[in-house]
Amino acid sequence: MFADYLLGLFATEPRRAKAVYNVCRGRRTVSTLFAGLTYQELAWLDSWHGVPLEKFEAAAQTLVEAGWLTAPQAGYWQLTPAGEAQQVKLKKTLYQPVAWQQFQQVDVRRFTALSQLALQVVSEYSHQAKRYYPVTTDPGIQAVVKGWFRRWRSADLVAMIVTELREFLTTLSTELATIFVQSLTGYEQPGQTDQQLAEQFNRSVVEILVIRKDLSCQWVAWLQAHPDGPLADLLRPLVKINSVSTSAWQTYQTFLQTPDLDQIAGRRHLKLSTVREHLLETAILITDFPFDRLLTPTIVAPLDQLFGSETAVSTWRFDQVQAAAPILDFFWFRLYQIMRCQRAA
Amino acid sequence: MQRDEIYQLLKQKYGFDEFRPGQYQVISDLLAGQDVLAVLPTGTGKSLIYQFAGTLLPGLVVVISPLISLMQDQVAHLNYQGEKQVAALTSQVDFQTRQLTLRQLPQLKFLFVSPEMLKQPAVLTAIQRVKLALLVVDEAHCISTWGPDFRPDYLGLGQLKQQLGSPLTLMLTATATAQVRQDIVQQLQVPQAQQVIYSMNRPNIYLAVANLSNEADKRERLRQLLTTAATPAIVYFSSKKQTELIAEWLRSTTNLRVAAYHAGLSAEDRFKIQQQYMTGQLDVICATSAFGMGLNKADVRLVIHYHLPTTLADYVQEIGRAGRDGQQSLAVLLYAPGDEQLVRNLNELTMASANQIQADYQRFQQQQPVPDELAAVLQFYWEHHYSVSQVVDIFDARQRQKQRELQQLLAYIQTADCRRAILMSHFGEATVPHREACCQLAGGAIPLAELGLTAGSVTTTPTTTSWKSLLDQLFLQKI
Ligand SMILES: [Zn+2]
Repeated sequence: MFADYLLGLFATEPRRAKAVYNVCRGRRTVSTLFAGLTYQELAWLDSWHGVPLEKFEAAAQTLVEAGWLTAPQAGYWQLTPAGEAQQVKLKKTLYQPVAWQQFQQVDVRRFTALSQLALQVVSEYSHQAKRYYPVTTDPGIQAVVKGWFRRWRSADLVAMIVTELREFLTTLSTELATIFVQSLTGYEQPGQTDQQLAEQFNRSVVEILVIRKDLSCQWVAWLQAHPDGPLADLLRPLVKINSVSTSAWQTYQTFLQTPDLDQIAGRRHLKLSTVREHLLETAILITDFPFDRLLTPTIVAPLDQLFGSETAVSTWRFDQVQAAAPILDFFWFRLYQIMRCQRAA
Repeated sequence: MQRDEIYQLLKQKYGFDEFRPGQYQVISDLLAGQDVLAVLPTGTGKSLIYQFAGTLLPGLVVVISPLISLMQDQVAHLNYQGEKQVAALTSQVDFQTRQLTLRQLPQLKFLFVSPEMLKQPAVLTAIQRVKLALLVVDEAHCISTWGPDFRPDYLGLGQLKQQLGSPLTLMLTATATAQVRQDIVQQLQVPQAQQVIYSMNRPNIYLAVANLSNEADKRERLRQLLTTAATPAIVYFSSKKQTELIAEWLRSTTNLRVAAYHAGLSAEDRFKIQQQYMTGQLDVICATSAFGMGLNKADVRLVIHYHLPTTLADYVQEIGRAGRDGQQSLAVLLYAPGDEQLVRNLNELTMASANQIQADYQRFQQQQPVPDELAAVLQFYWEHHYSVSQVVDIFDARQRQKQRELQQLLAYIQTADCRRAILMSHFGEATVPHREACCQLAGGAIPLAELGLTAGSVTTTPTTTSWKSLLDQLFLQKI
């Protein structure tokens, strides 16, 4: 069940429910991303894209009814002792994704659709089938695959694809490789549905969904490491250099030239508050953000004094800062928090 | 265009020597510039008509279609037949792709669109800019059955048609009473349209009703039918939940290969189930009524209704998915006392009292946002300057109509006489005499053996093959 996976995202300390949900749903506001960072859940960013909030809320409710989650205050959930035991149990029995961080910088969903159709086209081509029902009627996906096939169509294409698939699949367990291949669509093989795979492998439908998403991510990772083949060509336009949004990344590039935030705002025609948000987003999502360029000793000193020995970053309160150093506004506090999280990691 | 040339094209492009009943007449009327309302039984290849006309007439063919899944099926089907310039604009298509489709409209030959999507200004404007070969209203009976209280944008189609410059129009449906035909031509403002009407009667489908005393008996009868009668079969349910529950129960208690099919599935799973069924990898589909609308499977032998259909017209459409190959087939309606309540509950969903309608009119006048589905329906009327009392009358008439339809359905179930006669007279057709292979009279048994419809040998569940050999099957390599 979906709720089983949701339980895995909570801890014995309280976590803000909406932030946890929105990390999964791929909402990239600074407060969501920051929560993802402090909860060490950024790997889940965008992993449940398109799932409505209500579905998360309903699932959480079943966990409350089972006695596994409790609300220490409105809007927060934390594990009960029974919930903690259940979480440990589920982490052993339930399939755990290993490559979901791909969601952050690759449009995995789109690639999955492209790959599914491309493999069907090649399969039908290998059998010289000209009339078949395409697995997707999405015109955008069809157009991309059509162009791709025109570029790669050759006597060797089938062999190249099979070689790539074999090499990739041998890196997986037999169960995962079988699920991957059985869910493919091709010549005279429509492929198995999630429900059918669930029955065959004695797993829940949601587990199969998680496995297939993870397989897509693993497939993406493999193709990035083997960039010369035909399928990597299909993937390439969907990969960003990192998970930072394009506009935030532009702001960051400007920042690397000019550390003065007002000047950046002028050059980028943005409000100062937007520049700050862009920098916070970047600081959260990359590992080598040059914090020292902004967090000068004058700024850091009062913060170090307050929080130097405190490691539970998410429990720090801004009103403590306001009392001790009223000139520091929220931006500096948040940036300092991010720095401390990154350095602790 | 001459008759010979048309037949030549049929042979050349589709490989057929003959048209199915009605196809030629509709095509030649369209080529002569006549609007046509075609009532052709399910399985007569209605899509071939607009495909064919579209090939001969310059410009874009716009097909108005009621369901996303149906549109996807239709696009896939045209793709399959080698038509490449086909697209569907649905709410599931993302914004970017939608923009792309609209930009590429001049290069498209076929565009599938829902009435709700068609009325959006960006879509309408883009279509107005291209030359239209033909406007097709598929499942045109929806104008009459869904328009008044469920999807009022169906009522706005006449106006949309005018905004598109009143192009040549083809209205297609499988079943329509005289009243429904009247509604269609009136709403679409095509009083001069040629009406090409073929009998809805499908003599190769044996009609049966099983009167059962309760739910448990119904289940048991279902299982008994599916294991003794010939498949492939479709079982229709009125809820998504039931399709899943019964499919699972059948998988665990029989050797049949069964899958559930409903609108809640992903597009990928819907595709896979349809194709498994088409290629004989499934015996039974447990479905909500949307399944099979766009399905081109000729050898469905059995259609069972686990719940009542909403009307006799729907029933005829749904059982029409059996026996498209002309071979003997079977339709069974399972009925337990109280089943009609489900239909009544469904009907009540679209009911509105005079007070509700009045209150919503005030909401509209105060320019308050649309709070629910009922208000969304009513909004259409207010925007089109209907008065409260007119709308009250429309809703009343629609509810009375639905009650009458339910009574007609129950009459079909409870009759002591020929069931086919009831269906045919409902559609205003002269009846044919009852005979052995016609229908199951009250109290009789279904003569499976005489109909040649006893179950074949038991299928076994396929053994799992290794991924390596599956891969070899998928990708054929010359060694
Ligand atoms: Zn009869």
